[in-house]
Amino acid sequence: MRPIPEDTLRFVRLCVPLTGFAPFDLHATGMAQLYLDTARQQVGRYRLDTFLTELTEACTPLLDPSELSETDREIARAITYLWYTGAWPKLAVDAHADLRREMANTEFVVAPSTYVEGLVWRTFQSHPVGAKPPGFGTWGREPAELPPLTEIVQECGLAEQTGGSRPEEESTRGERSVPGGTRIEPHMLPGPRVARDVPPSALPTARAPRSERNTA
Amino acid sequence: MIETTTGAEAARGSYDAVVVGAGWAGSLIAEKLGRRGWRVLVLEAGEAGTQTWSGYLDSVRTFHSAVAKVPNSAYRHNAAAPSPDVLDLSPDASGSGEGRPEYTADGYFVQKGKMPYGTDYVRALGGAGMHWLGAVPRMHPDDFTTRSTYGYGRDWPIDAADLEPYYEEAEKELGVAGDAEGQRHLGVVSDSGYLYPMHRIPPSHIDKYCHEKLEGREVTDPMGDKRELHVRSLPQARNSTPAPEYDKRKGYRPKGAVGLPNYGERCVGNASCVPICPVQAKSTPLRVQDGFSDSVTLAARSVATRVLRGQDRRVRAVEYRSYNDPASPTSESHTVRADIVVLAAHAIENARLLLASELATTSGQVGRNLMDHPTTLAWALAADQVGPYRGPGHTSGVEDFRFGGKRRERAPFRIELSNWGWTWSTGAPMSNVASALALGGKSDGGVKTGGVFGPQLRSLLGSTIGRQLQLQIAVEQSADENNRVTIDPRRYRDAMGNPRPIIHYDLGEHVREGVYAAYEVSERIFTELGATSYTDHEPVDGVPPLGHFVHRGTDLTYHGAGHGAGTHIMGTDPNDSVVDADQRTHDHPNLYAVGCGSMPSVGTSNPTLTMCALALRSAERIHRDLAALSQPTNLRSRANAEEKV
Repeated sequence: MRPIPEDTLRFVRLCVPLTGFAPFDLHATGMAQLYLDTARQQVGRYRLDTFLTELTEACTPLLDPSELSETDREIARAITYLWYTGAWPKLAVDAHADLRREMANTEFVVAPSTYVEGLVWRTFQSHPVGAKPPGFGTWGREPAELPPLTEIVQECGLAEQTGGSRPEEESTRGERSVPGGTRIEPHMLPGPRVARDVPPSALPTARAPRSERNTA
Repeated sequence: MIETTTGAEAARGSYDAVVVGAGWAGSLIAEKLGRRGWRVLVLEAGEAGTQTWSGYLDSVRTFHSAVAKVPNSAYRHNAAAPSPDVLDLSPDASGSGEGRPEYTADGYFVQKGKMPYGTDYVRALGGAGMHWLGAVPRMHPDDFTTRSTYGYGRDWPIDAADLEPYYEEAEKELGVAGDAEGQRHLGVVSDSGYLYPMHRIPPSHIDKYCHEKLEGREVTDPMGDKRELHVRSLPQARNSTPAPEYDKRKGYRPKGAVGLPNYGERCVGNASCVPICPVQAKSTPLRVQDGFSDSVTLAARSVATRVLRGQDRRVRAVEYRSYNDPASPTSESHTVRADIVVLAAHAIENARLLLASELATTSGQVGRNLMDHPTTLAWALAADQVGPYRGPGHTSGVEDFRFGGKRRERAPFRIELSNWGWTWSTGAPMSNVASALALGGKSDGGVKTGGVFGPQLRSLLGSTIGRQLQLQIAVEQSADENNRVTIDPRRYRDAMGNPRPIIHYDLGEHVREGVYAAYEVSERIFTELGATSYTDHEPVDGVPPLGHFVHRGTDLTYHGAGHGAGTHIMGTDPNDSVVDADQRTHDHPNLYAVGCGSMPSVGTSNPTLTMCALALRSAERIHRDLAALSQPTNLRSRANAEEKV
């Protein structure tokens, strides 16, 4: 087996603060090279190199997206989306225009196997729908417990420098999304699928629950 | 092994019966007739290929690579035999508030109704029986008599007792796993000793979670109908553990995968029943076709275009077109004669064929009474991890609003507890990733601010996806003459030149009341569950979601359930129904139209099982008809025969 090229290794390293998965997990999908190729194709080779340099700057070691330019932020989201779902998303129109690409701005699944290797399923300890089935009756079991945020940070090797240069709010901001009753902003959840042909990356976000809307 | 032939080859044979359509109904009838030695030709308009293991896996991969994992996503487009797709419909803001439709349709159906008909089917070997979920609840005795019992809809010419033996036979043919005791409690199974062929599919963790919080609780709908809630197991055509005591202790041997010898297993939890079960634990018509006798010929890529009239009131032949390339409009015409013609091509396709053939015209009811189960979705976040996206689409439901009570005032409904999170309502979990990342830009095209990455993203998604609950509430829609399929060959044809179905569809007041009640009940159920409802039917940036309407000041939406029914409904009177109780057209003694199209009402049960029971019942009648046609000629003179009387 040939060694993994240096640019792929670097890409995977930089994708750790994007995805929250360790290099081991990212390599284990078997998709790293294909995702790098896809990102290059969609963004442009030169533009992607610039992005990866900017990304390196913005990660200390956790990513602060506000350190990225608007287009870079959208590229960061797209590459993360690719790892999580196996699909390249529809980008914000302005970002797509800024990239000056000839490709249509639509969501597409890169390959059948990228769908199967999507990381989103692992966030809630499940399997991709239609693949890697867990066996008869397993759906009756209590779902496995989710790792706490600190453990994920540890696992990704993103913890050691947090005490130093990172401001305090970075870690507290993380706490808000931890399971256990803390509030989740509606815009972080998907909204109704107004039509079936709207790709997941172009759907509206949720509005506040009816109970809260009425009192507002 | 399933063998298919070409349309040209099939035209050289001679047949006792021609069956149009290789879905559940057509396959069951062909198999029954073939087993009795009749020469049967089955014409399938669409592509075959899934009967081989490599072809089947190709469909699985097609599904994997689809952005929108809708029911037809595992099956490729076919211009020669196009299928309606849920992707064909788009919301249209310009109609809002002006009484014009709030949607546009761009696909096989020409939609001219006030409301969108959101139901699809697939024209391919096995038909919609390939992408169905496999839910097989029986209809309740009341469902057959809504007119006489509740004063709405239409009554059947037969009752639940007439159908019961055929329900049992269908459950054997399909291979059903279920809890007979629970179904007896509901009143849909009356035989006290009856068992399903296989033990029920194990309940999901979501089922247990809901059971714990809902069982015995009382919920009142907006009409004042108070019900005690029960979480009940759903009978499913899916391989489970065989019941050794089934059929007087003969037991049941589950059917394995088609196209791969000695491969078959119980449901392994792929959680993708719709559109495709990768291991074929879900039952499909391929299993029936696999058992065809040598006297059955199965021709794919053969699109029936007309049924031809013969002498008297009889039909004599089926005209069809075969093609070699689904992307090309080139096709060749063939005619094949038969003693009996059975249309089993889906409610809408049957209507289209009868209309194009100008047959069964007496009642004026062909194409009318088109039905579906308008399905409203409700979604919420539970307080705890519930384990969504695991197991079959739904394994339990709340059945308490299906029968009795205020059914006269509002349509009844069946509440499915989804095991697949918010996928139908919001495109989750992929859309969860997009919204957590703040991907996709603002409506003005600008890049969004915010969004989380890395460990925070992973943690947020784990928490919010793992707590997704969804209720899918199927509301009964009764027969209404104005909901109909028509054709206009001068204006609307497909690539091959066949008339496209024109649909006029709306929801009557009774259904709207049902959808409204279902929505209110879903909110109360979420309260009982301690879950936060995110159900949202309101327009987004001024664009009404598909299937949007306002009722009693409340925004509501419905989706198609894929339960197309009506269009050639059965009855005793040839002046107001198309087929008789045996699904034989009143007008033509050797022309049958079978399938959900024959149903005068659909209750709140997924219709496939009832359709299959009806098909098995008709197969017996068709066999008798064919036998009668083959009797030796009576040599006694008419005068002598009359003397004897």
